[in-house]
Amino acid sequence: MDFNNLALDLREIEKENPENPLDYFKEKKLCLFNACLEKYFPGVRWGFQDLLEELQLESSTCVNQSCCSGTFFQRNLITRAQFSAINERNLSEMNQQADIAFFSCNGCYNSLLRGRDFLKNPEVRGKTQDILNSISKEVEGERYPGIYNILENPKLKLVHDLDFLYLIRNDVLNTLKFDLRNLKVAVHYGCHYLNQSRDKKTLDSYLGSKNKLEGLIELFGGIPVDYQERESCCGWGASQLLINPREALKVTYNKLKSAENVGADFLLMPCPTCLYTLSKPEYRNNIEKWFGEKLEIPTIHLNELISILRGCEEERCISLTQKTPRLEEIFEIITQQ
Amino acid sequence: MADHTEADWNWAFYKELVEDVDENRNIIQCISCGKCVGDCPAAKVSTFNSRKIIQKVLRGDKCVLKDSDIWHCYLCERCKRVCPKENINIPLLIINLRNESFKRGYGPRYTDLRKYVEMSERFLTKGTVLEEPLGENLPQERIDELNIICDFARIKYVFKASKEKQKLKRKKSEGK
Repeated sequence: MDFNNLALDLREIEKENPENPLDYFKEKKLCLFNACLEKYFPGVRWGFQDLLEELQLESSTCVNQSCCSGTFFQRNLITRAQFSAINERNLSEMNQQADIAFFSCNGCYNSLLRGRDFLKNPEVRGKTQDILNSISKEVEGERYPGIYNILENPKLKLVHDLDFLYLIRNDVLNTLKFDLRNLKVAVHYGCHYLNQSRDKKTLDSYLGSKNKLEGLIELFGGIPVDYQERESCCGWGASQLLINPREALKVTYNKLKSAENVGADFLLMPCPTCLYTLSKPEYRNNIEKWFGEKLEIPTIHLNELISILRGCEEERCISLTQKTPRLEEIFEIITQQ
Repeated sequence: MADHTEADWNWAFYKELVEDVDENRNIIQCISCGKCVGDCPAAKVSTFNSRKIIQKVLRGDKCVLKDSDIWHCYLCERCKRVCPKENINIPLLIINLRNESFKRGYGPRYTDLRKYVEMSERFLTKGTVLEEPLGENLPQERIDELNIICDFARIKYVFKASKEKQKLKRKKSEGK
């Protein structure tokens, strides 16, 4: 049983489709993993869906997919086997309807890979299968156990939106109506993108600097700017922001302050959980209250930025329920070309 | 007698702390270089110090489960990435220490877990951690499956404190 084969092999795709990696995705069934935090930032999903449509790729979401449960595992509210069972159940459901699942959230992506990683341990694997066996199904009044099994060789592959967008960057570029007009952009990757065990295959990919966001910014006509807290956490820290808000917001403050200090026009990230932490008005207000500084640097998810650059309607593709600070200003600058 | 003195080297307790999880046995390879602390977000803003925590575990120091430090970890996995030893997984060790701490009744205060009541309720009644999912709701059959998976987990005990659960309980007792 191979537990390491879930992440889509991007190098292989590039090798096989050097001219146009997008070709690989045509004829494939694509599924978008529903991240809970997309509720606050619907443009993260809608914008991505819209882009896929323009690229003539059909996608769906999986109605039977639940939350990845990472937040409960990290707070010891469920065991490793229960966490793996929740993720295996999600995998089974998506595996039935798709070949590739896309992730807009570092946390969800990490959960699916980590849940799978835990199954390498025979004891966890045994317990996980026992849990899955306990889920029974009722057919014509009779109950049958075991509708889910640990998948031996799922056809489903997982890919983070950022990795996909970078892979097909030239096709993305062709869909853009506007460019970044030399705006200075600071990037935030997020811990669960930077520290992925998935990358442990080679020392270089694990320890080396990640720079896909910077590559995209340059391609889109912006200027990536470096800042001291580039690699640091957003402050969410597996719910530390709920438990120890003052300490956690100090981490958030350091990040925002450091990016604002180098004159970045906005902060770009590939994860709605990080976006939530770095943009929530209540957190910004507390930063001002506790650390005496009003920080106004706007924050944008990569999927939202691409939507803005594609000229999508503001209502559909930019955060509706949680407007990040000064986002409209950036929207105006980009779209008044 | 105090749980710990500096002179303690409690092999039995060390084994107890690490034997549950295979990977945790690897911490015996720790060379105490401190790389994990150097770039740790929690260490920058709190007293959290993974190197000291590992030392306590290796010594079999029972205080490690009572110390509030283990609850300050961000589980960002940066330590795992920078650790020069290949198979040391500090975040997993921390999660396990928290489990042991819970089991012995030293876990976080109730007020800390209260923040999880609503999230647990939503997960076990809707399959999401936020109000309503973006898009379609998870079918009831699938929600039932989540409840079976989570049987006997702490999430169920936290859920018991939720308004929804209390309402159901009240209804049930009124019906009797």
